[in-house]
Amino acid sequence: MKLNEGAKGSRLKVLHMDLPVQTERRLEVLGMLEGTVISVVNRKKKGAMIIKIRGTRFAVGEQITKNIEVEPV
Amino acid sequence: MSKKELTVGFVGNPNCGKTTLFNAYTGANLKVANWPGVTVEKKEGAMRFHDDTFRLVDLPGTYSLTSYTMEETVTRQYILSDEVDVIVDVADASALERNLYLTLQLIELGKPVVLALNMMDIVQERGMEIDLHRLPEMLGIPCVPVSARKKTGLEILIHAVAHHKDKVLGEKLIHHHEEEEKESHHKDVEEHHKMYAMVYSDDVEDKIDEISELLKKNYLKVDNLRWHAIKIMENDVEIRKAYPLDWDSILERDYEKEIINQKFSFIEEIMAECVVNRSRKAESTDRIDRVLTHPVWGLPVFLLIIAFVFFLTFTVGDWIKGYFEIGLDNLTAMVRTGMEAIHTNSLLVSLVADGIFAGVGGILTFLPNIFILFLALAILEDSGYMARVAYVMDGIMGKIGLSGRAFLPMILGFGCTVPAVMASRVLENPKDRLKTILVTPFMSCSARLPIYVLFSEMFFGDMAMVAAFSMYVLGLVVAILAAFIMKMIDKSKNSNMLLIELPEYKTPNAHTIWVYVWEKVKDYLTKAGTTIFLASMIMWFVMNLGPQGFTTNMDQSFGALIGKTLVPVFAPLGLGYWQIVLALIAGIAQKEVVVSSCSVLFGIGNVTGASGMSGLASVLESMGFGVVNAYALMVFCLLYVPCLATLATVKRETRSWKWTGVMVCMQLLVAWVMAFLVFQIGSAVF
Repeated sequence: MKLNEGAKGSRLKVLHMDLPVQTERRLEVLGMLEGTVISVVNRKKKGAMIIKIRGTRFAVGEQITKNIEVEPV
Repeated sequence: MSKKELTVGFVGNPNCGKTTLFNAYTGANLKVANWPGVTVEKKEGAMRFHDDTFRLVDLPGTYSLTSYTMEETVTRQYILSDEVDVIVDVADASALERNLYLTLQLIELGKPVVLALNMMDIVQERGMEIDLHRLPEMLGIPCVPVSARKKTGLEILIHAVAHHKDKVLGEKLIHHHEEEEKESHHKDVEEHHKMYAMVYSDDVEDKIDEISELLKKNYLKVDNLRWHAIKIMENDVEIRKAYPLDWDSILERDYEKEIINQKFSFIEEIMAECVVNRSRKAESTDRIDRVLTHPVWGLPVFLLIIAFVFFLTFTVGDWIKGYFEIGLDNLTAMVRTGMEAIHTNSLLVSLVADGIFAGVGGILTFLPNIFILFLALAILEDSGYMARVAYVMDGIMGKIGLSGRAFLPMILGFGCTVPAVMASRVLENPKDRLKTILVTPFMSCSARLPIYVLFSEMFFGDMAMVAAFSMYVLGLVVAILAAFIMKMIDKSKNSNMLLIELPEYKTPNAHTIWVYVWEKVKDYLTKAGTTIFLASMIMWFVMNLGPQGFTTNMDQSFGALIGKTLVPVFAPLGLGYWQIVLALIAGIAQKEVVVSSCSVLFGIGNVTGASGMSGLASVLESMGFGVVNAYALMVFCLLYVPCLATLATVKRETRSWKWTGVMVCMQLLVAWVMAFLVFQIGSAVF
């Protein structure tokens, strides 16, 4: 499934990111790597989300969340 | 020991409390400038420790030392320069896992690093424990627990800095990775683990060795070969340019992802060994966020907060302003009688009392409003709410083709357009940046506030606050519409890549806020003392000088001549009065000048006081200038060309005269059309 389908409160494991290299690297230095488990703190209808990566909250837009493949943990 | 100066660079992630820590050492005693060549803010302060002077430099907050953004590039170049003796890496100890990535990168740079574990008070509150014995062992650098807010550990940290300054790269570390060392086939693995905190997998280490050799052979003098080798493997454009070889074919593939991954594996190892109880996170932020970032309520709550900020600015600000006015009245009267008593030339008395005091003083009385506005903005920022606004506004901003992040510069525009335009730098996409820069001046800045307060109080009575507040809403709506139209013209695909950290909520720190607000107040006072002072004097001369020399009849002055030629352009807006036209022209220097010019032009001292206001109102009304004219004037002032300082900033940030010109034309046009509509429709209705 894609990250933007993730329900509020769910814990998800990142499988693959299909994003421009720069955006992907920015996420990676924040600790969001393939295999990292993240949780969805809050979300809007279209897929903009607040996610928690390694204990820190980030707001991410739908253009990012719909291009990240995840699986429930 | 001889006296010497030690330069200490403060580096850290955004939101790690770095600035609070920096301020705790230096106080408000800062030198703020820009880094050479770029408009990234540079803060510098000094402190004394025993016999030494420490020069402290606050570097821009950054998550890593790649060179993707201007902030990162500046930070890296500065650290690598010979200027920095010791790096203080400030980390939010309550979010250590994320902060350690930068720490590992800093250690790799090879300069002496001291890790300041900030926010230790929060760590303790949450029942977390950090093994302060094991952590420095694993990292190979001193780790000092501090709390910038509670001011604990500050002395120990600076002590560690003083004693760590001579650390030589490659000094033996005491940390054990026995398992790894046994399994590894790399020839120097034992040595590596003694020398470097971060040791990569065998194939990465082999490659680092290979590249280091190549660098040594081709470029004789390279400091810290290992770091340069790693950067080349990470495909770092800048380093590859500095040491050109055919790296693509030497490297076969991109190692960047692997290097990042392995750093985080090591961080996970550190976390497992050094941090106890880390799952017990504070719940309070989540509880607050349930309301503030609610999918439905988030937006109305945000609008309420903003409305409350302006309510405070106008009501409380005006209440204090009353006292300032009484003071100014008395002072002006005293100076006038004083000067007349010593028989000063009456022209000079007029210049001082009607020119300088009326102009500069009139502006100074708005200090309370400005102070409260900036205070509120600082509290919103320091509490952690500001970043949420980017998330809340992301949907709306997406519709006009911008990321929610672009809304932050726009909000700052309520304070001052100059830093707001500079804040657009956080946007990676150059097109988004340009759009944001072009629309930000429509946001009503604090310099326009005096105009609204003056004219709304003169003409709107009880509705004054509503009239003034409507300007802020109108500015926001016009900015959003303008961005929407640009999106239509541009037709580019929406590349909305919002990514922003949402820090934990915290009680704002009084000291941090004080430093921020004082900086802005100082700016305002400086402006009043320089530009407005000058503009008031020029205005007085323009009004009292005519083709026939000094004149007491203003109708014969140069000012009247200039104003009168432009009256036909402004007549359809209900602003066809040469005094108003002249004040508007003068306002391009700075928007407050519109108010100070009105004082001078209509010959009313202390125009913002109650008597001054009714005086000006009756003069204007006798000229046929009524409520609708006043509102048209406010609209025009809101939307027309921003001040010279903004224009200069826009030019510098866009690096383009063309776009600066486009902005000026667009704003003049929008202002004229909007004021025209307001006046024509308003006159028909009322």
